[in-house]
Amino acid sequence: MSGATPNSKTATTQPAGEHDKRDEHGERPAWTRWFASAHPVKPGMLNRLWSVPSILIGLLFTLGPIGVIVAFSFMSRPDMGGGVVFRFSTDAYEKLLFRHDYFGNRSFDARYLAVFGTSLWQALLTTAICVALAFPIALWMSMKSAKVQQILVLLVTIPFWTNLIVRTYAWMLILNENGPVNWLLRLLGMGSQQLLYTSFASVIGLIYTFLPFAILPMYSALSGFDFRLVEAAYDLGAHKPTVMRRVILRAAMPGVMSGIALCFIPAFGSYVQPVLLGGGRVLMVGNLIASQFAEARNWPFGAALSTVILAVTLLGALAASIMGGMASRKAGA
Amino acid sequence: MSMINHDTDPSAIRYGNASEFGAKVARVQAAGNDGVRMPEGLENKRPDRAWSTRRSGRQDNQLKRFPFVGFLSVAVLAFLYVPMMIVVFFSFNGGKQALLWQGFSLRWYGSVFTNGAIVNATETSLIVAVIATVLSTALGVMYVLAVDHMSRAGSALASMLINASMLIPEIVLGVATMAFIRLIGLAPGFVPLVLAHTTFCIPFVVMPIRARLATIDHACFEAAEDLGASGATTVMRVTLPLLVPGIVSGALMAFVVSMDDFMISNFLTTAGTTTLPIYIFSLIRKGVNPSVNVVAALLLLLAVIVTVTSTLLTNRKDK
Repeated sequence: MSGATPNSKTATTQPAGEHDKRDEHGERPAWTRWFASAHPVKPGMLNRLWSVPSILIGLLFTLGPIGVIVAFSFMSRPDMGGGVVFRFSTDAYEKLLFRHDYFGNRSFDARYLAVFGTSLWQALLTTAICVALAFPIALWMSMKSAKVQQILVLLVTIPFWTNLIVRTYAWMLILNENGPVNWLLRLLGMGSQQLLYTSFASVIGLIYTFLPFAILPMYSALSGFDFRLVEAAYDLGAHKPTVMRRVILRAAMPGVMSGIALCFIPAFGSYVQPVLLGGGRVLMVGNLIASQFAEARNWPFGAALSTVILAVTLLGALAASIMGGMASRKAGA
Repeated sequence: MSMINHDTDPSAIRYGNASEFGAKVARVQAAGNDGVRMPEGLENKRPDRAWSTRRSGRQDNQLKRFPFVGFLSVAVLAFLYVPMMIVVFFSFNGGKQALLWQGFSLRWYGSVFTNGAIVNATETSLIVAVIATVLSTALGVMYVLAVDHMSRAGSALASMLINASMLIPEIVLGVATMAFIRLIGLAPGFVPLVLAHTTFCIPFVVMPIRARLATIDHACFEAAEDLGASGATTVMRVTLPLLVPGIVSGALMAFVVSMDDFMISNFLTTAGTTTLPIYIFSLIRKGVNPSVNVVAALLLLLAVIVTVTSTLLTNRKDK
């Protein structure tokens, strides 16, 4: 990778140490200062030019597409087929809330709001259950010895790195009518139930997928926690609920906040679980977007939906990071 | 952090005289990922009871006070692992129906390796994952080493851009990338697929490498320069070798992330470039076939191998 180029580049700045000042007096042309910076490259590091490829690919394949999708949401759809026509229009956003009948009358339309409602409900339920389940295990992990902690982190990380489709498919195996759960229900004389292709199955799939996302940040908030503080709180006469609330929970709060963000954001835009486990019964924003770019082919509308969930996501992330920052100041970290 | 050393002033060790320098460099190289450096004699010392005001043993004491925590935790671990075990169990199913258990057999393991579509999809996935891993690892290493040289605002902006692909909902990034590719006049296919994979793999590469870099004492690099190494030599012979565990762990993560991706690939693949997750997804939707169980079990095995290797690398105390 680093052949001849770093040599020539670093050579211009490298007589570092004693010669720092020369740069600051502006003896070099302005452009060299911009490229090679006023302060010299630290030994063992690279010039900032080396970050250009990563930034370029980030601009091209992250910021570029997002810009395009936001722009597309303000354009009109062609008379037939997919794609967009470059003509400003807010039809796509109007379609979110209103419906036009044949006579051009506008009436309120709650269908798409209902989809957002389903997404919000499923994501909130998932987040709440994930956080509730993650807190005890994060606490438990953080109280173990260092060696055991490493093993437990590994155990929680393995599901995290397992293929999403595989994890979702596992629940199809479990919940289908001949699966183990129904087998157990029949054994108990309750008869088989329709478990797969329900919103219950979809939520289970989401919880299963995002549980490690909640455990890991909470664990990392608690793993540095000095449990002597708990001891001290008891010695000072605090009761168990008080210790839990005012000592442990406060220390875990930054982790809880990032756990909430890490569960809610991807759950809100999920696609695979509602399709495979919810069958046709659960329609979430993710599914609606995918269908706008595939079958129904209303790109501007799909782009508007994307823009809306992008905004929700960014606001959620912002709120979580602000609250997480507040929580970690409170926790004294 | 909680370890206090009463005998030696830590600052005397950190900036001690030159004769200690070689020993210090060696010690820093041996430092693990905890980032806490201890004076020689205390390196293997564990906090003992004398350091704590606690009267009884650590674990018993705390677990007694939160009795249901242990039970709930084991239940959560079971919730995480039972579904995976069921997948593995069903991969040994002998019957023709994927969802119905009909006795033990290895027949579907045999059939998977001769199933043309599955082999093709696996090949595509592997090729894309390998190229994306190599590219993203190279770019990630370059980025981590260069970000130090940026201004504060510049590096904040750059890391926001680099990490953005983790924050944006996958479905949005998928359709957006597809729209973008069409707009700049490319057709979905192999090249956009590889570039998109490289982009969302970079943050996963950057994380462990940055973590590793934070544990390395920069005095090593200064020592190399003082001994006359050029900037390039220092990077090649000192920085990169010290970063190896982080780089390998990042590359492994990138490989898995690329192998696993469904949402973004879904909008970028064409008939010729179907990746494995997309193929499995379509198989599952069409009506499940027993070979899905086997592919799922094999992908599970991949996740276990990669995670264990990556953990061993990061936690290794290289002596």
